[in-house]
Amino acid sequence: MSESVLTMANIEAGYGGGLVLQGVDLTVDKGTITCIVGPNGAGKSTVFRVISGLLKPKGGTVTFGGRDIGGLSPSEVLKSGIAQVPQNRALFPEMSVHENVLMGGYAIRRDRALLKERLAMVAEMVPLVKERAKEHAGNLSGGQRRMVEIGRALMLDPAVVLMDEPSLGLDPKSVATVASVIRDMAAEGRTVLMIEQNVRLGMNLATHGVVMEQGKVRLTGDAKDIAGNPEVASMYLGKTGHNE
Amino acid sequence: MDLLQVIAFGVLLGGVYALLASGVTLIFGVLDVVNVAQGSFLVFSALFTWQIWSLLGLEPLLLVPVMGLLMFVIGWAIYRGLLVRVAPQGPGMTVLLMFGVAIAMEGVLNIVFGNEFKSVTPPYFTSSFKIGEIVIPYPQMISGVLAVVVLGGIYVYLRKSWAGRALRASAQNKDGAALVGISATKASSLAFGIGAMTAGVGGVLLAIMYPVYPATQYDWIARLLGIIVLGGMGSIPGAIIASMLLGISESIASAYVPQWAPVFFYGAILVILLFRPHGLLGEKTREDVAA
Amino acid sequence: MIAALKRPSGFLPVILIGLLILYPIVASDTRYEESVLIICMLYAIMASGWNLISGLAGYVSLGHSVYLYMGMYTGAILGKAWEIDAMWLAPLGAVTAGLLALVVGLIVLRTRSHSFVIITIAVLLLGMLVAANWRGLTGGSDGFIVKQPSWAKDHPTTPYYYIFLGILLLTVALSAFIMRSRLGAGLVAIRNDEGKAASIGINTTLYKVTAYTLSAVPFGFAGAVYGQFLGFVTPSLVVAILMSVFLVLAALVGGRGTLWGPVIGGFLVWLLNEVGTIAAGEFRARLLIMGVVLILVVMFMPMGLLPTIRNFVKKRRESKSAVNFIDQKSIAAVSDVDISKIIARTRQQSEGSSHILEVKGIVKRFGGVTAVNDVDMAIERGSITGLIGPNGSGKTTLFNCMTGTFRPDEGVVFLDGENITRDRVWTRAHDGLGRTFQITRLFKSMTVLDNLVAPLETTSVRQMVAGRYSGDEVERAREVLDFMGLAQFEKQDAAALSFGQQKLVELAQVLMLRPGIILLDEPASGINPTLIEKLANVIRRLNDAGTTVLIVEHNIPLVLSLCDTVHVLSGGEVLTSGTPDQIRNDPQVIEAYLGPDHMVGVGNE
Repeated sequence: MSESVLTMANIEAGYGGGLVLQGVDLTVDKGTITCIVGPNGAGKSTVFRVISGLLKPKGGTVTFGGRDIGGLSPSEVLKSGIAQVPQNRALFPEMSVHENVLMGGYAIRRDRALLKERLAMVAEMVPLVKERAKEHAGNLSGGQRRMVEIGRALMLDPAVVLMDEPSLGLDPKSVATVASVIRDMAAEGRTVLMIEQNVRLGMNLATHGVVMEQGKVRLTGDAKDIAGNPEVASMYLGKTGHNE
Repeated sequence: MDLLQVIAFGVLLGGVYALLASGVTLIFGVLDVVNVAQGSFLVFSALFTWQIWSLLGLEPLLLVPVMGLLMFVIGWAIYRGLLVRVAPQGPGMTVLLMFGVAIAMEGVLNIVFGNEFKSVTPPYFTSSFKIGEIVIPYPQMISGVLAVVVLGGIYVYLRKSWAGRALRASAQNKDGAALVGISATKASSLAFGIGAMTAGVGGVLLAIMYPVYPATQYDWIARLLGIIVLGGMGSIPGAIIASMLLGISESIASAYVPQWAPVFFYGAILVILLFRPHGLLGEKTREDVAA
Repeated sequence: MIAALKRPSGFLPVILIGLLILYPIVASDTRYEESVLIICMLYAIMASGWNLISGLAGYVSLGHSVYLYMGMYTGAILGKAWEIDAMWLAPLGAVTAGLLALVVGLIVLRTRSHSFVIITIAVLLLGMLVAANWRGLTGGSDGFIVKQPSWAKDHPTTPYYYIFLGILLLTVALSAFIMRSRLGAGLVAIRNDEGKAASIGINTTLYKVTAYTLSAVPFGFAGAVYGQFLGFVTPSLVVAILMSVFLVLAALVGGRGTLWGPVIGGFLVWLLNEVGTIAAGEFRARLLIMGVVLILVVMFMPMGLLPTIRNFVKKRRESKSAVNFIDQKSIAAVSDVDISKIIARTRQQSEGSSHILEVKGIVKRFGGVTAVNDVDMAIERGSITGLIGPNGSGKTTLFNCMTGTFRPDEGVVFLDGENITRDRVWTRAHDGLGRTFQITRLFKSMTVLDNLVAPLETTSVRQMVAGRYSGDEVERAREVLDFMGLAQFEKQDAAALSFGQQKLVELAQVLMLRPGIILLDEPASGINPTLIEKLANVIRRLNDAGTTVLIVEHNIPLVLSLCDTVHVLSGGEVLTSGTPDQIRNDPQVIEAYLGPDHMVGVGNE
C-alpha cells in the first residue's frame, strides 16, 4: 500500500464571492501518476492553484508529507518540494535553453556543487536540454518548450510535480515524448499530478484517475477503470443530467 | 573640422548617451515604468560632483563609484518608497509620479546650488588627445571610454550574475520569474537602482565635459526619451544604436548645421513611430493589438 | 446647505464664479491679485481642455501646452502681419491649435499607453524646437514681441481678467456640452474598455481624434490672448514642460473626468505655486513644493478632490441602508413584452443569402500552432446554431475571427452576403453583428442604464454631438431591461452587479444594436442552472422575434436543447454538423471530447 503524499480534505475555495471547489477530497499516493479530468468549470485548475499556494482555501486542509501547506506562499510551497509546469508559456524567450533550465535552480543558486549535480540530472532526463543548450527558448516548438519547462521544474528535485495540461497544443510526437518523461519521473519515485483535457490520453498515461465535476470529486480509481467507465463520457456530454 | 574627427567625437558622446539610456531601458524592461526623472538624477550627480570637487579638489573621476553608489541607493529608495505603490495604476500615473520626483529634485538642487552654471575643471580639462589626425579633448575621451567600460560592466553583470539573470528573467516573463521563485519587488528595486546608478556615473562624466545647472534636466529628458522611443521601448541594444545615432548626428550638426539637428532627430522619431509604433527594435505590446 | 453637501459641484462653482466677477469691482488696487488670478484662470482653462481627452477618455497627454503656444504664436505673428491686436485672433488661434491637434491625433491615436504619453511629450519638444529655430517666422529663441493695445497702459490687468473669465466660462460650457453628449459618453466607455466600446458600435478612432482636437481648442483660443497679455512669446522648453505638468496636476487635484474639478484644481495649483514663490522664495523652494505636491497627489489622491468628497458623502449616506446584492431569484421572469419591435432591424437586410453569417477557408495561426485550419461554415438565418468542441479545438478562435477580434490569416467572413473580413469592429456592429463576452465586459464606472444607452447603430457627427439621452434610446433601453426582467437594476452601478446579472445586462446591451445575429461567447459559463434556464428562455424569445443566434459553448446539454443546428470542431477543423439528435448519438463527437483516436496509442509502452 503506497503512502499518500498529498491530501486535500474537504477543500472549499473560490474567487470573489463564489465557490468553485465545493468540498474536494483528494488523495495522491507517492510514486503515482494521477490524472485529474473533468468538464470545463469542474475546478481542476483551481485545485492546482490551491496546492501551489496561489489561492488560499476558504475551508478544508491541504497536507503535503504530513505537513499542512494551506497557508504557505507560492515560493514556500516551491521550496517544500512541489514544482509546477504551467499550461501557458512560462519560459524566458530570449534566454538560452541552458539558462532557462538554470533559472529553475534559482532557489539553490548559492550551492554551486548542487546546482551542477542537478543540471546533470536534468540533462539526463531531458536530453533536449543538452542538445539545444545554446538555442533561444523562443525559437523552440511547443513540444520542445514543454520539455524545457519540465527540465526547469526538475531542478529543485521536487517530490511532486504538478503538470497543467501537458499535452495541450502539442502534436502526437511531442505528446509521446512528454508522456515518456512523465513516466520516467514516476519511475524515479516522484509523484506526478496532472490535469488533462484529453481523457483517453490521461488515463493511458496515468496510474490513477480523478474525475471532477462542478467543484467536487465524482470518481476516483485506477486509471484503467476510469477509462472504461461510461459515466465519464456522460459527464462530459451531460447525459446524466448533472448539469440541468 | 575633419569629418572623421566629428564622427569620433559623436561616437564618444554616443557612448555616454548609451550608458544613460540603458539605465532607462532597463527600468522600463523590468518595471514597465518610463523614468522621466533620469535627467534630474543626472544633474543631481553632476552638481554634487562639482560640489565635492570644489570643496576638496579631488580628482573628479574618483567620484564615479561614489556617485554611482549614492544614486543606486537613492533610486532603490525611490522605488520602494514611492513607485511600488503607484505602479499598478498604469503608465500615465507612473510617468506623472516620476515627473514629480524630477521637479522635486530640481527644486532641491535649486535651493542648494542656485541657478548658475557650474563647471568642473580638472587640470586636464583643456588638454587634448591625439590619435593620428584626430584631436579629441581629454574630458570627452575619458568620458566616452569610461561610459563604455561601465556599460560593459553592466552587460557582464546582467549576463553572468544571478541577480542579473533574475532581472532579465523578470523583464522577459514575469509569471515565469515568479514560478522559479524570483521576487518581483526585489527585481524591480534592483533594476531601478541600477538605472539610477547609470545616471550617477553619467553625472560625473557629464560634469567634466559641460557646464551644468539644474534646469538642464529637461534637455536630458528630451534626449533620453527620444533614444528610448527610437530604439524600441524595452530593447537595450536598440537604445545603444539609437544613442550612437544621436551622438553622431548631434556632433555632425554642431559642426556644420548647429540649429536644426535636434529638429531632425525628433522629426525622425515621429516619422519612424508612424510606421513602427513600437520603435526600431521594440516588441509589440499586447495593447497595440487592435481588438 | 445639505443640498450643497450632497452635490458639492452644485453650489460651489456658482459662488466661485460670482466672487470672481465681483472681485475687481469691489476691491481696489488689485493689479497684482488680478494678474495672479488671470494665470489661475488660464490653468483652469487648460486643465479643463486637457480633461476632455485625458480625464474622460483616459489618454494621458503630457505635452498639451504646445497648443497654447500655437495660439500664442498665431495671435502674435498674424496680429503683427495684419496689424490687429493679437487677442482678436483668438478664434484663429483655436483653429490652428485644433488643426495641429487633428494632425497629431490622427498619427498618435493609433498607439496606446506608454507610446501615447511619450509621443505627446515628443510633439511638445519638437514644437518648441521648431519655434526656437525658425527665426524668420517666430523670431527664434529671442522671442516675439506682441504689441499692447492702447488701453493696456492704464488698465494692464482688469480687461484681461474679464476676458479670461469669459474664456473660462466658454470652456466650461464646452466641457459640459461634451460630457452630456454621446461623445462624452463614448469617451468614458473608451476609458473603461476600448475594445468593448468598439464592439458595441462606437467608432473609437473618430471619438478619440475628435476629443483630442477639441481639447486643443481652448488652449489655442486662450493662447492668443495670453500672448498679448504677456507682451511677448518665447519658446522655452522648461516653461512649456512645467506648464504641461502643472496643468495635469491641476486636473488631478481637482478631479479629472469631472466638470469643475479641473477648474478648482487650476486655481489651487497656481495659488500654491504663487505661495511657494513668495513664501519660500528666498529658499527657492517653489519647485520643490510643487514636485512634492505632485508626488503626494499621485500617491494618495489620484482621483482628486471632487470625487473623493463625493465618495465620502456617498458612503456616509449608504452606510445607513445596507448594500443589497440582489440575488438571482429576484430577477423577474422574462416578460411577455413583444420584443420584436424593439430589436427589429431598421435597415434593409439583403435577402439574397439564406446564410446570415458565412466563413470560407478560415485559417488562423498563433506562433507555430494552427488553431483554425481551413474552416468553412454557414449560419442559417433565423436559426439558433451551436458551436462546440473540446478545448484546443479552435472554436473560440473561429468565433473571434467572426467577430473581428482576430484577423484570420486566410479566408473570408461574410455578413448578409457582404465581405466584412477587413471591417473594423464597430462597422460589424453597425451591420448587425452583436457579441457578448465570456468574461463580462461592462463599463464599470457607469450605471446599467448608461451601459444600455451606449451602443450605437451608426456613426455620424450629428449623433455624436447630440445629448446622450436625446433619442429614443432611453425608452428602448427600458423596454429591453423590462423584457429581460432587469428593470430594477436600471440605476445600479454596473460594477455592483453579480456575474450572472452582468451577463444578462451585456446581452441587453447587444440587443440595443438591433442585431441580425448575436454571437454568444460561452453564455452559460460561471452561472447557476436557474439563470441558465432563464438565459435559454431569452434566447428562444429573441429567436422567435427573428434574431439569429450563434452560441459557442462547453455546456453540451444546453446546446443540444436549445439549438437547431450544431457544428462540432476538433483539432482546428470541422468534425461534423447536424441536428442535436444526430450530434448526441455521434460516436465521433464523444471521442473528440474524450480524446482523439490517434492519441490513444501514445503513452502505451
